[in-house]
Amino acid sequence: MSNWLAELTAVFVKDLRAEFRTKVSLNAVGLFALTTLAAVSYTIGPYRIAEADRPFLLGALLWIVIFFASMAGLDRSFVKEEETHTAALLRLAAHPLVVWAGKLLFNLVLLIVLMAILVPLYCVLMGYRVESPWWFLAVLATGGYTLAVTTTMVAAIIARAMSRGALFSVLSLPLLLPLLIFVIQGTTAASQGEVDGVLSTLRAVISLGGIMTVLSVFLFPVVWND
Amino acid sequence: MSGSVSIGFEGVAKRYDARVIFKGVSGDAVPGRILVITGPNGSGKSTLVRILCGLARPTVGRIEWRLGREPPMARDEWRRHLGVVAPAMSVYEELTAMENLQFFARVRGLGPMEPRCRECLEQVGLDPDRQTQVMGFSTGMVQRLKIAQAMLHDPPVLMFDEPGSNLDPTGQDWLEGFTRSAADDGRTIVLATNDRCEMTWGDDRVELAG
Repeated sequence: MSNWLAELTAVFVKDLRAEFRTKVSLNAVGLFALTTLAAVSYTIGPYRIAEADRPFLLGALLWIVIFFASMAGLDRSFVKEEETHTAALLRLAAHPLVVWAGKLLFNLVLLIVLMAILVPLYCVLMGYRVESPWWFLAVLATGGYTLAVTTTMVAAIIARAMSRGALFSVLSLPLLLPLLIFVIQGTTAASQGEVDGVLSTLRAVISLGGIMTVLSVFLFPVVWND
Repeated sequence: MSGSVSIGFEGVAKRYDARVIFKGVSGDAVPGRILVITGPNGSGKSTLVRILCGLARPTVGRIEWRLGREPPMARDEWRRHLGVVAPAMSVYEELTAMENLQFFARVRGLGPMEPRCRECLEQVGLDPDRQTQVMGFSTGMVQRLKIAQAMLHDPPVLMFDEPGSNLDPTGQDWLEGFTRSAADDGRTIVLATNDRCEMTWGDDRVELAG
């Protein structure tokens, strides 16, 4: 294993270990996701939406739950480093890109855990039938990666700001709005088995994810060090 | 140790908006000597240490780190040669002492270095096998762990900001012995303090006006 990979794994394992011992992000994300899911399934349920509207509305609701649940916890990894005054030693010890990649990996894992629990529950409780499950998974995977890479970068920016409160959601929303629109369209297409619709969504989401990754690689060292 | 490193700074000033923290500060930290930075509360000792570490930029002034007689190093190379202990730089309280040191060794690209981590912890008087998370440590034990973290990679430059705070008399005696022997080994030591006893350890002094 190269040094770079070993170093980013160290950042990831450290965050994972700390998270398992405190469970701050897990609780925030999990509680928000389950509360929203319970509220949506209780008030709307599987039968209160007309059959024709189901693919689009259920796809939109699914991504709204994922999006807001991730807003509740994905900013913690950087904010916590600043609040507990551990960021300075991390800055001195680790290369900025190692920190960025380690934190991104942690946020990705958190999002995968969230989706692995939330999506099957959502499908069962809301009676959400998906015609093309593999394309559906592809939309979830690419959408999840783009969501994680964007929120990781925004979290790094807001961690350096003096007033962090609502800044995360305010900064994330314009960056993530195009992503949300694309993934909702892609999820709708996958649930109806429209491969062409899924493919055009995947192209857009992968492009967005690629742009955010390249931007983060160039921007993060500046944000982290200055 | 990766060789002798000297630090020169000239005409350094720091201003936050309209408030001038300090200005025109110059000095040299050279291998084998202890540079003490003193000054009243709020005079900017910790800020100057952060600037010398590369964690903050001066408003004006020049800082140069040199390895031996080589040209000045790039700012992002400083961290490889530096160990720091400062009140505003904490270790991870959800990890044990050993996990903390192994984490810092790994992100510095040194691997887990278990024997070296054990050696550093034993040197500062902490038990390497203790499974308590740092959040269960006393403030003195946390300070000892911070010192162990600073010496882990055997750096040629050590920067201490109030290093004796929260240490008991035995710990303070050990710290004095460690600091003096580190200087005797050819390390460059920068010590920011208001403690009268720690001030006497210095060979050179920079006094901030406040």
